[in-house]
Amino acid sequence: MRRNPGFWYALPMIVLMLLFFAAPLAIVVWYSLMPPRTFDLTGDIGLQNYRTAFGDGYGVPLMWSLIGAALTTLITGLLAWPTAKILHHHAGRWASIVTALIALPIFISESVRLFGLSIFLMPGGGILAGTLNALFDVQIGTFLNTRFAALVGMIYIHFPFMLFPMLLGVAMIPADRIEAARDLGAGRWAVLREVELPLAAPGLLVGGLLTFVLCLGANAEAAILGGRAVTVITAAIEQRFNYAQDWPMGAALTVLVIAVTAALVFPAVRRIDLNRIIRR
Amino acid sequence: MRGGRHILWLKVLWVGTVVTALYLPIVSVVLASLANTRYMRFPHKVWTLDAYRAAAADYTTVTLHVISLQIAVCVVLLSVTLGTIGAMAYARHDWRGRGLFQKILVLPIFFPQPVLGLALLLSMSALGIAPSWKTAVVAHAVWIVPIVTLVISIRLFGYDVAQEEAAFDLGASRWQVAREVTLPALWPGIFSGALFAFLLSWSNLPLSVYTSGADTPLPLWLFSRTATNYSPLVPAIAVIGTCVSGLIVVMLLLMRRLLAGKNQPV
Repeated sequence: MRRNPGFWYALPMIVLMLLFFAAPLAIVVWYSLMPPRTFDLTGDIGLQNYRTAFGDGYGVPLMWSLIGAALTTLITGLLAWPTAKILHHHAGRWASIVTALIALPIFISESVRLFGLSIFLMPGGGILAGTLNALFDVQIGTFLNTRFAALVGMIYIHFPFMLFPMLLGVAMIPADRIEAARDLGAGRWAVLREVELPLAAPGLLVGGLLTFVLCLGANAEAAILGGRAVTVITAAIEQRFNYAQDWPMGAALTVLVIAVTAALVFPAVRRIDLNRIIRR
Repeated sequence: MRGGRHILWLKVLWVGTVVTALYLPIVSVVLASLANTRYMRFPHKVWTLDAYRAAAADYTTVTLHVISLQIAVCVVLLSVTLGTIGAMAYARHDWRGRGLFQKILVLPIFFPQPVLGLALLLSMSALGIAPSWKTAVVAHAVWIVPIVTLVISIRLFGYDVAQEEAAFDLGASRWQVAREVTLPALWPGIFSGALFAFLLSWSNLPLSVYTSGADTPLPLWLFSRTATNYSPLVPAIAVIGTCVSGLIVVMLLLMRRLLAGKNQPV
């Protein structure tokens, strides 16, 4: 039997994904069923770690990560929508330059950018506080080392991930559709709700999903900007693996994050037709 | 039409604010690197390039760059090879499992990176593999190969298969067609894919944190040194590392232009 060449071309990728994506996740799931504080994979299977996870206060870091991800998605969405509309409406030389300028920081390591944000916000001799003090003799405090600071960091890092899919989405709205709606007497709000948002939905969905999922695992923002004010789920997992040496417990928490991710991503991926978005 | 003008100014102001906000932290890093005190008091009393001199003299700077470069080069080679092959299955051929393949391919992109890193670390430990820069290459590849595949697929969607058939009709072999027709047509996509792979690997922190073991790539070193043992050396190396990646990209772009000039169709 001869298979279509498409399958053979897909084969290397399928092998890569099975070996280094599916298999590690399966091993993590298996580990999470092992007795606590064991290091091999041959123990008796049980759900003890999950019981501990829900009973022992691990719900709190998971909740912070979920809240952080939801807020970041919402706020970057609100910031990115007008930006995307402006860049699309005034497409041309300037818009391309601005788009490139917004894309560029993605390629600068997030450790560099978050570190920059922290020295910008630092109290006393920080860039902002120091400048205001030297120029206007104004002393300001700081919100560094708070949950709010971690949120600002997440918004800062993930804004481009929301904006670019949104730009693709906005480009899917035919201009005449908006004019037609206006001619028929639709107000600004009605146009947004009935015409623009539904037509741009694929882009919004991709951007929102990407931002939410990336934020769910985000750790560096809370570590660099949040101080000890907040423990996110990734930090809790890392702590289980490294200091507590309780791999099965760390694995169980990892599985919870994977489960939340899968619950969001699977239905969305089934609905989105990526071909239609990238073919343009 | 005064209202329209106001709105235009508001728009310019908005976009200007967004871009400024994105760049303020980056400018802050550059400013911090020009100090000579461990505890920063901006504006600096002394503005100096001492930190850059120290960084240039410090062997750590070289080691960090070599490790990041090793990882990035391997990731580029892997993702360009696998990405080109994968894109053929994604965009060029119509086959039975294609819809499913297209959906599975994007799963690693929509996945929290530190969690992927942790999962890889755990499974490697279970298998007795010590993490090193090589395992970091694997971790980066799981995330970057699908991205590069999509980048190349965008090019492939606009590709006319009739060219290949014409070449076959003229008696070209399978290998000749691949080398003379398919690859040149895909080349712009492959090149942008390579740039993406390089930059994404070079700047990646969350995947390296758990998978690079004792080999510390640049972003990871910066991450740990901003928390403890801070000195102006840290922002200086951050600036140097970013400039090095910028330089490599510019060199690649120039090389591409030179090669394109040489291979002009006769």
